[in-house]
Amino acid sequence: MEFLTQALVAAVEMGTPLLFATLGGVISERAGVINLGMEGLLLVGALVAFVTMLGTQSYLAALGAAVVVAGVVTMVHGLVCLVLRANQIASGLALTLFGTGLSGLFGDQLIGKTIEPLDNHALPLLSQIPLIGPALFDQDVLVYLSYSCVLATWFVLYKSRLGLTIRSMGENPAVCDTMGLSVLGYRFWCLVAGGMLIGLGGAYFSLALNSYWVDNITAGRGWIAVALVIFAFWDPVKALAGAYLFGFAIALELRLQLLGIGLSPYFLKMLPYLLTILVLTTVTIRNQRRGIQVMPAGLGQGFVRGEKH
Amino acid sequence: MRLFFEKRTTTTPLGHTATIVGAVALALVLGAGFLALVGVNPLEAYALVVEEVFLSGYGWQDLLVKFTPLLFTGCAVALAAQMRLWNIGAEGQFHMGTVFVTWGSLHLNPDTWGWSMILIMGLLAVAGGGLWGSIPGVLKSRFGVNEIITSLLLNYVAVAWVDQHLFGSWRDPASNNFPITREFAEVARLPSFGYTSVHFGLILALVVVLVMAWVLLKTKLGFQIQLTGDNPDAAGYAGVNGRLLIILVFAFSGAIAGLAGFSEVTGIHYRLQQNISIGYGYTGIIVAWLARNHPLGILLSALFMAVIFVSAEVLQIEYGLPIAMVYLYQGVILFTVLGSEIFTEYRLRLRTA
Repeated sequence: MEFLTQALVAAVEMGTPLLFATLGGVISERAGVINLGMEGLLLVGALVAFVTMLGTQSYLAALGAAVVVAGVVTMVHGLVCLVLRANQIASGLALTLFGTGLSGLFGDQLIGKTIEPLDNHALPLLSQIPLIGPALFDQDVLVYLSYSCVLATWFVLYKSRLGLTIRSMGENPAVCDTMGLSVLGYRFWCLVAGGMLIGLGGAYFSLALNSYWVDNITAGRGWIAVALVIFAFWDPVKALAGAYLFGFAIALELRLQLLGIGLSPYFLKMLPYLLTILVLTTVTIRNQRRGIQVMPAGLGQGFVRGEKH
Repeated sequence: MRLFFEKRTTTTPLGHTATIVGAVALALVLGAGFLALVGVNPLEAYALVVEEVFLSGYGWQDLLVKFTPLLFTGCAVALAAQMRLWNIGAEGQFHMGTVFVTWGSLHLNPDTWGWSMILIMGLLAVAGGGLWGSIPGVLKSRFGVNEIITSLLLNYVAVAWVDQHLFGSWRDPASNNFPITREFAEVARLPSFGYTSVHFGLILALVVVLVMAWVLLKTKLGFQIQLTGDNPDAAGYAGVNGRLLIILVFAFSGAIAGLAGFSEVTGIHYRLQQNISIGYGYTGIIVAWLARNHPLGILLSALFMAVIFVSAEVLQIEYGLPIAMVYLYQGVILFTVLGSEIFTEYRLRLRTA
């Protein structure tokens, strides 16, 4: 029981950066833009948050800086793949390379430096619920922020006019264009908004999960988030469930290592990645069997008025 | 007043070249900005790079050494891309190649196998990389699973697999607990040219480039690959087994990346250790993209990326900058090249009123 409670706490902690990143991915993919730069953006967010925290000792400044810089870096991706109409996949990979390089270059001088990680704040009563109380309601403020981001994303995407427009951009940009809406504009800003959320996820690595800087701090979690967007059927609420499931897998890996059971740590390290592949495969097969088309129909396709696609 | 893109009536090869050169030049300027941010004088650094990389004998050697694995990985990515498939798992297939090769060196007796040892190790690398590469291929072909994500995630698994062996039973007892294996036997190494560090792997890589060019441009199989990439329906009606082709292409692609691993362990390190690939697999993506997936273009783009690697090493030694510089420059170059491609087909115009 104690073990499970602790594992669940760790699952939410590990799942929170995945959740931010997946939400970011959901927003931009709903508008029809693939962002394969998630891993790079997480690294940029982590780096900027850590550097700002070192300089200002202010969590708010660190978060703000991570969000703004991640947004600006995402604009480069948007400029290249939307304004200049390049391949979205290649441009996203460029973003990942760029972010990896940036965090490696500037992070080199940070290795070994430490900051004070975020405190937990228990919510009264709610945190007393057995098993899930401590996991969900005795966490740091960023975890609570992530809940409201899920709610806000869900509300905007499904309950507002803006969300309907955004989803139409991903399904059929040509129709949106004939209605006089700017496909480029909506897609660009959805991509940037998503990038800012991913930057927030990156900040979680350096402000909450670690108190010191390590090279390649995100360890490929951005790619797990790329898969999670598909796994969550491009839905913010399912993204929450998916992120915690994978957070649980990562947490379990770390716990089992600590317990020193017979499995080698390198084998355990493979588990989250193998699990991602397994889940992605199952979800794809299931969708095909049932003939469900959940992927936004215009995902990854460029749109230029008056040209064939 | 408004800026807009107007389609060009003609596109010229000169225009293509000019945009690529312009994009690379822009990338170098942007890169200089980042150098300045970490307190390095970019002009001084670039001058130093030119001197150390192009004007010194050792620089050329090192260029050819880095050129070799990039030829393999560039070909690996380009082969899949010819069929509009993304293999971003060359890094993992490279690692699996090294694991299989090392298994051979540790378990085969060099006295009984003699000179055929190196051949068998090459085949093992083909098997290791090919099998690893065919996993995303099978998943894509059978179930339609996104190959970008699966091939990428398998990279992390492969690296952990290498560590599993290095920190486990393969560790050399005489290594003072360093995660390295025993050195390979003499017959399990690729010969070098004279007293240089350039080794026979370079010849093998060039052969792979030529064979791939021949297969893609001159054979029925190559035509089927390109046709399936351009128009899977048409290929299906023409009797091409697209599903089988996906698996085959991924297996071959992985095998080529596995050969890169083979060439590095048997030609340079003579043992398995960590970080044998300094991102060669990922760089293969850029090599292929810059070459527009043309096998012969890979010769040029792989050389260019080799320059980036060697330059980063120079900067590392001279200014203590981390090798992650390579990724930064690669990201910037890929961005500028992608962003410039539109100018070969369109021109930017200003509309007044």
